[in-house]
Amino acid sequence: MRKTFFFTKSVYFIVVLAATQLIMPMRSWSSQKKNVSVIRGVVASQYGMVKDARVRIAGSKDFTLTDINGRFTVETPLFSGRPIKITAGKDGWFNNSVNAIPGNFDANIMLYPIPANDNPDYRFISPAVCARCHNTLAKYWDKSKMAHTTSNIKVLNMYKGTDATGQKLAGPGFKIDNPGQDGSCVSCHAPSAAVSRGGATDIESALWSPKTEWDGVSCDFCHKIRKVIKTRNTPSLFKPLMRRQTPYQGNSILIFGPYDDVVNPVMSASHSPIFDKGNYCATCHSQVKKLDGKTTWDRNKVYSDAEWKGFDIGDDSVIPVQTTYQEWKSWQTGLAPGDSNKGKKCQDCHMSWRKAMLPYDNYIIDGQARNMWGTKRDPGNIRPHQFDGGTKIQLKTALSMEMEGKINDGILDINVFITNTNGGHWVPTGDPARSVMLVLSATDSKGRPLKKLKGEELPAWTGVGKIENGDYAGLPGKIFSKVLKDGKGNINVPFWRATAVARDTRIRPKTTVTLKYRFKIEDPDDEPMAEAKLIYRPFMKSLAQIKKWESKDILITESAW
Amino acid sequence: MNTKRIFILGLIFLITTSTNALASDLLSGNIRAQGLRKQNNILVYLARAKGPLPSLQKEFVLDQNNLTFSPHILVIPEGATVSFPNNDKVDHNVFSLSRTKKFNFGSYKPGESHKVVFDKPGIVELRCDLHSEMLSYILVMKSPYYALTDKKGNFFIDVTGLAPGKYILKTWHEKLKNSKVSVKLPAALKSKLAIKLKRGAPGVLYK
Repeated sequence: MRKTFFFTKSVYFIVVLAATQLIMPMRSWSSQKKNVSVIRGVVASQYGMVKDARVRIAGSKDFTLTDINGRFTVETPLFSGRPIKITAGKDGWFNNSVNAIPGNFDANIMLYPIPANDNPDYRFISPAVCARCHNTLAKYWDKSKMAHTTSNIKVLNMYKGTDATGQKLAGPGFKIDNPGQDGSCVSCHAPSAAVSRGGATDIESALWSPKTEWDGVSCDFCHKIRKVIKTRNTPSLFKPLMRRQTPYQGNSILIFGPYDDVVNPVMSASHSPIFDKGNYCATCHSQVKKLDGKTTWDRNKVYSDAEWKGFDIGDDSVIPVQTTYQEWKSWQTGLAPGDSNKGKKCQDCHMSWRKAMLPYDNYIIDGQARNMWGTKRDPGNIRPHQFDGGTKIQLKTALSMEMEGKINDGILDINVFITNTNGGHWVPTGDPARSVMLVLSATDSKGRPLKKLKGEELPAWTGVGKIENGDYAGLPGKIFSKVLKDGKGNINVPFWRATAVARDTRIRPKTTVTLKYRFKIEDPDDEPMAEAKLIYRPFMKSLAQIKKWESKDILITESAW
Repeated sequence: MNTKRIFILGLIFLITTSTNALASDLLSGNIRAQGLRKQNNILVYLARAKGPLPSLQKEFVLDQNNLTFSPHILVIPEGATVSFPNNDKVDHNVFSLSRTKKFNFGSYKPGESHKVVFDKPGIVELRCDLHSEMLSYILVMKSPYYALTDKKGNFFIDVTGLAPGKYILKTWHEKLKNSKVSVKLPAALKSKLAIKLKRGAPGVLYK
């Protein structure tokens, strides 16, 4: 009896042990594979297998590239209740996808090439159409300056020579100086009108152009850009290569973008790497002027050889008017490999999330469209389209300032350190009418100004008059700006009159400018103080007055010692 | 019996006096700042106060979440270490180009963290160049005699161990003019200081 009991127990023990042995390797196998399975397939086209196509699970951050035979392997969750959308995309091809379950080794994706030619008869669609699905993105865009570049009153005033009230012959105007020319403003201020066949060639008529029912740099224009190429034939030295309208699936249109995993019947999306590169912005954020004939200017007085070479805009017959792109490019090129700032591009800072947009969204489309075609993404893989630039918050954080002082033998020495903290380009950038002023004051303990012994002063064109009216001429300080001059020596002239850059004191990215001042202290027992303000001015005071523009200075930062 | 009574009375005296000493070692006050909705985050400190350094906290955390540095103002003693974890959903690039401490981590991902030792007193302005709204200050202090105001503008500085005498109480806030008040210890411990501040250019912590 006892023997039988013992035998039974032993059998149970062996069975349990064997079962454990069977289970253990399974557990171990699972953990080694990290709970993943794989999907395999090939990416092919009518011309054969597609090499270097980007393949991923729709919405995921990681992708894999196809090999020379178009083959790919994608890791997927081991247990998936439903088929997983595997997408493929490559520059020059429409994105496509296949639904596959984990373990599927036959998930093949066919890619179709985008048309080789552009269609100049294409009519751009209105942003209102895009907003039906991309409502949030369109709202951000609509608040940006990019959305209203055609109807920008200041641009129109400078073009026509009018003021804000419509008064003619009020200050400089391109058309006043060049009555027989249209200029090239439309190429950036009304780009869809500019590239449409029969579209407007001057900015005023662009507003009434039948080819543009909307204003500014629109969604469809930007997302029709296939590539950006260098040229010597445009004022920006860059040119967008367009591919417009592509009947591929029914009424869908060709849309270029950064995503290689957007596949839906409404848009025929095509992945284009240019959307994630800084030179995408070069088409408009760059402007040079070629001087007439063999005229040149002495650029050595303004720029170092390294800076000029970094601009890469040509010889001494070219004046750099707006060089935001070149400033960024030369900064990036000059950084050593491994530098923390290496690789930063325009989109990283000008298309990033803002607090007002929170909570984070995981989708770039809204409403019913989200349910039908939405791809869930990491917020870090979404670029909001507000295009911040020259906004108050960006200006206020672009520069920082510190002060130090020393008192010795009745002398007060003040050093001011101004740093381009956040700008990936020179500050201020863009239109040469913009400037940043350092306004410094040193006073005794009763508020009486101390006599300046050493240090720069602000020039007359910062305004002669009272400080409280924003006139700072003659005060201790410095102006940071690009100053254009004409052949007669007049400074701060509009670009079409410029024959040279008189000076360019703007602050280079991540660099600090040190300014030294010295003041006399009358009472050696007194405790003097110094106060510095950094002020951004969007255009010269004299220009604002003649154009009747509201001139609002922005206080970037202030500091005291 | 008498001995017992004397002992009890002595004990009561000791307890009472020691409690008073603890309470009176806090230099307290209230700040009213012009043009500020909340009166918090104003630094109040005794400049040039030298005393025995208590065992101060040496490790601090400055978090990043929802496009915000938290806390907005972090006051630390000289030599302290600050960690900068990215607890947000997007990449951040914490850096400082301040003369007090320069560093740049480059862009880093959610879940990652970096550390910096702040070995020099002064103001460190923190930025994230991917998100221009993100701004924070680390104030590195020479001595332990400092406090930040609460939302009502109240502050309490523990001055335990500080020798009696005259001191200069200073303030700092990013949007306010610095101010200084002369205080005499221990007399100043008996009343609550009242300080009014004006909007304007902030100065340095230490001249």
